[in-house]
Amino acid sequence: MAEPSQSKIKKEEMVKLISAEGFEFVISKKAAMVSQTIRNMLTSPGSFAETEHGEVTFPEISTTILEKICQYFYWSLQYASGKETEFHIEPELTLELMMAANYLHT
Amino acid sequence: MSNQKKRNFQIEAFKHKVVVDPKYADKTWKILEHAIHEIYNHNASGLSFEELYRNAYNMVLHKYGEKLYSGLVSTMTYHLQEMARSIEAAQGGLFLEELNRKWTDHNKALQMIRDILMYMDRTFIPSNHKTPVHELGLNLWRDNVIHSSKIQTRLLDTLLELILRERTGEVINRGLMRNIIKMLMDLGPSVYQEDFERPFLEVSADFYRAESQEFIDCCDCGDYLKKAERRLNEEIERVSHYLDAKSEAKITNVVEKEMIASHMLRLVHMDNSGLVKMLIFDRYEDLGRMYSLFRRVSNGLSTIRDVMTSHLRDTGKQLVTDPEKLKDPVEFVQCLLNEKDKYDKIISLAFSNDKTFQNALNSSFEFFINLNPRSPEFISLYVDEKLRKGLKGVSEEDVETILDKVMMLFRYLQEKDVFEKYYKQHLAKRLLSGKTVSDDAERSLIVKLKTECGYQFTSKLEGMFTDMKTSQDTMQGFYTAYSAELGDSPTLVVQVLTTGSWPTQPSMTCNLPAEMSALCEKFRSYYLGTHTGRRLSWQTNMGTADIKAVFGKAQKHELNVSTYQMCVLMLFNTADRLSYKEIEQATGIPSSELKRCLQSLACVKGKNVLRKEPMSKDIGEEDAFFVNDKFTSKFYKVKIGTVVAQKESEPEKQETRQRVEEDRKPQIEAAIVRIMKSRRVLDHNNIIAEVTKQLQSRFLANPGEIKKRIESLIERDFLERDEDNRKMYKYLA
Repeated sequence: MAEPSQSKIKKEEMVKLISAEGFEFVISKKAAMVSQTIRNMLTSPGSFAETEHGEVTFPEISTTILEKICQYFYWSLQYASGKETEFHIEPELTLELMMAANYLHT
Repeated sequence: MSNQKKRNFQIEAFKHKVVVDPKYADKTWKILEHAIHEIYNHNASGLSFEELYRNAYNMVLHKYGEKLYSGLVSTMTYHLQEMARSIEAAQGGLFLEELNRKWTDHNKALQMIRDILMYMDRTFIPSNHKTPVHELGLNLWRDNVIHSSKIQTRLLDTLLELILRERTGEVINRGLMRNIIKMLMDLGPSVYQEDFERPFLEVSADFYRAESQEFIDCCDCGDYLKKAERRLNEEIERVSHYLDAKSEAKITNVVEKEMIASHMLRLVHMDNSGLVKMLIFDRYEDLGRMYSLFRRVSNGLSTIRDVMTSHLRDTGKQLVTDPEKLKDPVEFVQCLLNEKDKYDKIISLAFSNDKTFQNALNSSFEFFINLNPRSPEFISLYVDEKLRKGLKGVSEEDVETILDKVMMLFRYLQEKDVFEKYYKQHLAKRLLSGKTVSDDAERSLIVKLKTECGYQFTSKLEGMFTDMKTSQDTMQGFYTAYSAELGDSPTLVVQVLTTGSWPTQPSMTCNLPAEMSALCEKFRSYYLGTHTGRRLSWQTNMGTADIKAVFGKAQKHELNVSTYQMCVLMLFNTADRLSYKEIEQATGIPSSELKRCLQSLACVKGKNVLRKEPMSKDIGEEDAFFVNDKFTSKFYKVKIGTVVAQKESEPEKQETRQRVEEDRKPQIEAAIVRIMKSRRVLDHNNIIAEVTKQLQSRFLANPGEIKKRIESLIERDFLERDEDNRKMYKYLA
């Protein structure tokens, strides 16, 4: 997801999500905050490590799932702004994805 | 990327460790407990949100929610007790600041804790009916800090003390107050009400009770009201600055009760500064303040209104019964109008045009105007005066204003028919003597009377105007027909008045001089020639005449006199000396009229065209009269007025009164018949009530008189008494 076009956006507006295997996904904060949990991590008063460094590590989420989740964040933003497209989910990912969704409160 | 994804594909459970370790929960909780400690110690920067969240998430997922929850309660309680101790230790003025600081800390910590425990908030708490984390945090704060025995009373005392200091003029830290009060409100309405508002209201009531007592003993009414108003505004401002908006009504209620309601009567009746004095001296500002303050309490306005009404009635009664005032009717009515203006102004400036006050004003005027039976006459005289000369040089609009005011007084009259009677008399005089200043004004008043009382009331008055107009045409016709024949005989102007439209006066004819009576006869035959079947009778008492006279050294004057005076003066064309008896005999003028007319001819300085022996102010039966050769005047035209009593004399008044009573009889009878015709059967009391109601617009019918009229109608077989019930009347068609 770390596409070159987005690297122009200011660093403060980006957040790094790190998967269990150590893959880093840099996405916009706005997209990340589709997840209520990530939103809390980034906005909670006081300074948690995540807020300070702008990166969150998910030791229990695999790269595959995290990638799908990031795709979902962007899709969700588009959907909310009126663009009604389908979000395709491979059946084999469903279970894990649902658990992650529960964890992330998405 | 899709390739990579395919490659990495695997079905894999979430990486929870299978919980075999019984210490797992304890361990996890230790991590979280530590984190909570760090948060309260402002040391959260090293903590990983994700880790804490995951731990809490896993604890809940593995059914350790209960442990997590109770752990949270005890950890938080521990920290809050710490905080309470630190707050308790704060000295004096620092107490509130410390409390505020700790509250802010706790709030922030609570927020963070809630965020990391969000999964518990979402799942465990609703299904187990526990208190959500945020609310739990507030409750624990309330129980451990606010309700701690050493803080609870101290907090309340401090708050009340600060408010008291602000009331006595000190400046306090309103921001801090706002924060603390906000905290109490955040803890729930019951905390705010029980721990602050209720005692606050009690203390305020005591404070204002004492203060109002002090004020009322040393201030006059106006100052007191100013102070009360200021206090009220202060409290409203206080609420807007740092109290719950819902407290406004409660605290203003306290101030209103203690400062206004408890002292209302005393304030209103203060000897030298109370309501009456304010009314007398037109203190619009004070009155306005009193109105706006008293309006806030029950019975407040009615208190003002009652005092105003009774004051109005008293002064009005004095005014209408003051013998001095009664001497000059114009002045009398002017006083009434001034009084009305005064109160209109007070009501509009100070009492925000309150309808109930206007009604009170109207009823008071109605009350006292009718106390004086001469009011109708005086009001008519006032109009007369205005229409004769008072309106000269006054703009049309002002004329309307004056007339409108008069109409307002007229509305208050109960005996409108008496007014009509007098108005007719005065109008007749005005019309016949050509004294009306403005025809428009006259007509405008008639229109007003018509809108007020209906066509019936003014039809006769309008008839009078019509007569005046037709008479002009008649005279023109007369002179065109007879001009050749008349030559240089005197000019005659006749006004033909319809009997009934004009106030009837017993015709008191006199012997006109020969020249005149010949002319009059000619007119009579002309008029009867064109209008058959009519009767003419001369009203010599209402006429005027212009005559030319030559005095002593060929001084020529034109004298404007009444018809009677003309008859007297014409006698001196053939005689030098005439005794009173001779004049009376020759003219046939009734003696009272004759005396008045001789008096104005012989006794008024500057207008004494006759000389009298002996010289005296009054006319005696034995006096003799001569032409006054020494008569001089700067003017060529001399107007000799008759000495007239402007007001009616006592016997005349009785007479008018009697005529009014006579006129009322047929009206009452007509009303009775109208009512009985529609009702067929009605009892006595109801007839009286209905008749009174029907006639209200004209006069207040006297029940005794109504009874007499009923009897008279029974005699004439319009009605009969019911056989069984003597109180019932039946209508006989």
